[in-house]
This record gives sequence, structure tokens and C-alpha cells, in this order.
Amino acid sequence: MIKVHIRYFAVLRDRSGVSSETIETSGMAVREIVDELIVNRSLGLSSSLIRIAVNGSFVDDQTLVNDGDEITLIPPVSGG
Amino acid sequence: MFVLTHEQINSASPVYEGAGGFVSFEGKVRNHANGRSVIRLEYEAYPEMAQTEGEKLIAEAIDQFGLLNVTVIHRVGVLEIGETAVLIQTAAPHRREAFAGCEWIIDQLKFRVPIWKKETYTDGDSGWVGADVFTPNEKLEKEFFQRQVNLGEIGSSGQEKLKKARVLLVGVGGLGAASLPYLVAGGVGTLGLVDFDQVELSNLHRQIIFVAQDVGRSKVERAATFATRLQPGVKIESHPVSLTASNVDSLVNSYDWIVDGTDSLSVKFLLNAACRRHGKVLISASIHKFEGHLLTVTPDGPCLNCLYPEIPKDHCIASCAETGVLGVTPGLLGILEANEVLKGILGYGELLSHDLLLVDLRTSETRRLQRLIIDGCSGCQGKYIQDMSDFEFSSLSHARQELGTFEIIDIRELDEDPTLTLPHRRIPLSQLDITSISGPILVVCATGTRSGKHVSSLRSQGIENVFSLNGGTKSLSDDA
Repeated sequence: MIKVHIRYFAVLRDRSGVSSETIETSGMAVREIVDELIVNRSLGLSSSLIRIAVNGSFVDDQTLVNDGDEITLIPPVSGG
Repeated sequence: MFVLTHEQINSASPVYEGAGGFVSFEGKVRNHANGRSVIRLEYEAYPEMAQTEGEKLIAEAIDQFGLLNVTVIHRVGVLEIGETAVLIQTAAPHRREAFAGCEWIIDQLKFRVPIWKKETYTDGDSGWVGADVFTPNEKLEKEFFQRQVNLGEIGSSGQEKLKKARVLLVGVGGLGAASLPYLVAGGVGTLGLVDFDQVELSNLHRQIIFVAQDVGRSKVERAATFATRLQPGVKIESHPVSLTASNVDSLVNSYDWIVDGTDSLSVKFLLNAACRRHGKVLISASIHKFEGHLLTVTPDGPCLNCLYPEIPKDHCIASCAETGVLGVTPGLLGILEANEVLKGILGYGELLSHDLLLVDLRTSETRRLQRLIIDGCSGCQGKYIQDMSDFEFSSLSHARQELGTFEIIDIRELDEDPTLTLPHRRIPLSQLDITSISGPILVVCATGTRSGKHVSSLRSQGIENVFSLNGGTKSLSDDA
């Protein structure tokens, strides 16, 4: 198992109730981790609308995460 | 009609058919100025130039406010206390345009038309008094921009670049009202404003260019007045319309820099694709409560569609009206948008063209996330692909799941059976005025064809929050 840090922004922060958290995972592809969080944290958005950045860069879905990585979840934001 | 006269001005109230509003303003000679008693005034004009400038001003007012007729009569020579110095009359279809046009003309007249006044005081002293602020001329403009011209990165050549720049601001809301003053005061020469809305009382806590008296009036018109008072040299081009698929190309193509101040995801993606088609730079920001994000889309960098390959639906996230917003959030992001424009025009620093900037006002943290160009991205190719699934539901329960609560409107003709048993309103398509209805609306017809077509057309006009039920009344009975 590895530990990764999750950061939530905008509506995802509202829905998860936290700004960030550390979770344990078995080193899956980053999209699978996010899909699990959508269910476990009731994020209420379809996976295709959540953009993922790892350690400050947007990445593709199959990127494997390493121990200590920071995963940032960005939902659409529309307010003006 | 612009007239300079030595004769006493007598106002009449002419009849203009089609004018529901007629405003007549008279500027009078008063008996005091800046704490001194005044016994008379003398006006002197540079007649040829005053005539040309006055006529130009009237033509602009007619164009900008849709006025039917304008009369401006200015006195010259010696005037006693109580006499009329200037008469401005505007006729328009409605009172708002008549009031707004009249106010704009008197403001502009003082800035632009070369008429000076000499006050004679009770102590026998007298003096020429300038216009209220200044007529934009080279010397005064130099003083206006002096502090920024002093920056090595700008200089007088940079200021010239700003003056030649054409910037389009789409949406004069929280973001737009924050970027506008800095674009105008910074010296952007031409600013286009797009917004179909009126100022509301609940806007004022964050849209600080507006004041309470502006409530109910056109945002674009009030913003134009604010801008020309701040920097009389700025040229404002008013577009009091919704930005839609049918006008986005002509609007975007007429400007060099496009600033996204809207709260509509569909408009953001329409702008994104249009900017790519025309090789323009788009500066886009969005906010949510105490957070905001900002990015600049250049012709060769990643676009908004690279970030969101699937265009999100507006209703998947809540609006400011629903979640609430504090003024400083759009204020800060709007100023950052203005900074991107100024950077781009002047060439200092570097544009935020490869990163997404996240700002959190609760923690004062900013983060930059590196964006990627997605191969084959439709936005990069200038395409705005509106997915029918954005606004079509396969069943009533699907609509409930996605929208929560909504109103059902049955658009079938009145002789079409059967009558729905669910709570609904029946308004045949020919009589439907969707713009007068607020809140999510599910449009229903017999099969989903008419409703789908109509909703698609409304959406292309920028009307959101309207949806169609696939399968029509048939799928309603299946659900029941």
C-alpha cells in the first residue's frame, strides 16, 4: 500500500467536506483512484468532468501514482 | 441637431411619434461656484470645432442608445443667473434610453466640445473655468498615464500600443466589473462590452462599478458611462446582446483580446472555439465561492477544451446565485484577467498560456497546474460541439435525477390528446416565450422532435436551463 495526498477544489471541496486528505491505495491508475473517491466521498460529478493533476501537472488517466504523490481534482467552475 | 446661439434658449416639447420617452434637460447659470458668489457667466466657443464635435456626439448617442431624436442647443455670450446655458432633449421608444442618452450627452459635451465659461464673481474678480474634468488632449493624457509610462516596461511606446488595442469584454458581472476599470484606466483604446442584462440590486456588492441608481438599467450602458467618466479618451463599443453561436464570430473577429467574464460554461466554450478559429487570445476566469481559476488561451497553446474534453453542462455545478459569492473573489480574478491583457499588449512578463492558476482566498494560496495540449482536441480546431445529451433526457426520472426540480411545459397544440396528468403548463409552441420563464424547464411535445428542435434553437441563442424530453408524452406515460 502507498499513501497519496488528495486535494479538492471548488464544488468537490463542498461535496467531500474537506480541502485535502491522505488516503492509502494499492498503487492503481490515477483515474481508478478518482473513480473510487467519486463513490466514497459522494462527489456527485461524472468522472469525465473531473480533471486530474499529479504533482502540479495534468496527467492522463492511466498514470500510475507513487507513494507521496499529490493528486489534485479540478471540477468545472463557471461563476462570473 | 446641434446649435450654438447667442439668443435666449426656449424649450419646446415637440411630438415624435414612436417616442414613449422624451427627456429635456436644461443646464442653468447658478449664483455660486466653489464657495464664491457668481453674478454672471460668459460662454465662449471655438465655433467650427464645437459644431463638428457636437454633431459627432449626437450621431454617437443616437447609435449607442437607439434614440429617435436629439436636440442640443448651447448658449454663447453673457448669461445672467437663472438663464439656460444648455438645452439637451432626447426622444426614444422608452424612458430608459432617453434618460441614459441625455445624461451621456451632457457628460460627453463637457469633456469633448470646446466651449469654455468665464465666471464673474460678486467681488469683481473673474476667471475662465475649464470643463468638469478634461478634454482628452495629448498633454492631459500624458499626465493621466504618467506613472505607468514611467515604468521601463511600458514607456510611451507601450502606452501607444494600449491606445491602439481593441479588447472585448464578454459579461459585465463580478469579473467584468473588476477588469473593466483597470483596462480603461490603463489606457486600452477601444473596449467592446457584451451583456444583455440589467443591473440588479443583488449585483452591487461585487459589481462595484455600478451604483444603486443604476438598478434596472442596461449593464452595458451604465458600464459605458462609468468608463467614459473615468477615462474620457476611451472608445466604448456597446453590444447589449447575449453572446450566441450566431454572433460569436463577428464579435470575436472585431477585437484582438477577448476577456471572458461570463458565468456560463456554454459561452466560455463558444468563445474558446471562436478564438481558435480567428487566432485571437482568450483570457478566461471562473469562480466558485472563495476560489477562482484563470487561464489564457493563445492560438498555439492548450485550449479550454483540452482541459475539459467533454463540455460540462451548466447545471452540473451550482451558480453564484445558488452558492453565494463574496465580492473580493471575482474582484481579484477580474483584475488578474486585466493583468493578462495588459501583459499581452505590452509584452512584459509571460502570459498564463500553459498553466491553470488556482486561487484560494481563504488560505491566500495560489497554485499553478501545467496544462497539456490534447491531440485532436475539437476546441483547438475551432469546433464547438454541443452534445444533444446536454439538454435531452430519456425519461422523466432521468430529468429528475439530473435537474432536481423543474417545470414541465407541454408545447403541443391545444387540440392534441391526451392531456397530461402531471403538474404542467400547456403553452403551444406558437405562443411560447421562454425568455419570460425562469428556472429549469422541461419542454415536452408528442414525440420529442418539436421540443428537441426548439430547445436546441433556444440554446444556440444562449438560453440555458431549458431541456427536452426524448420520446415526448409517450415516455411520460411509460414513467408513470
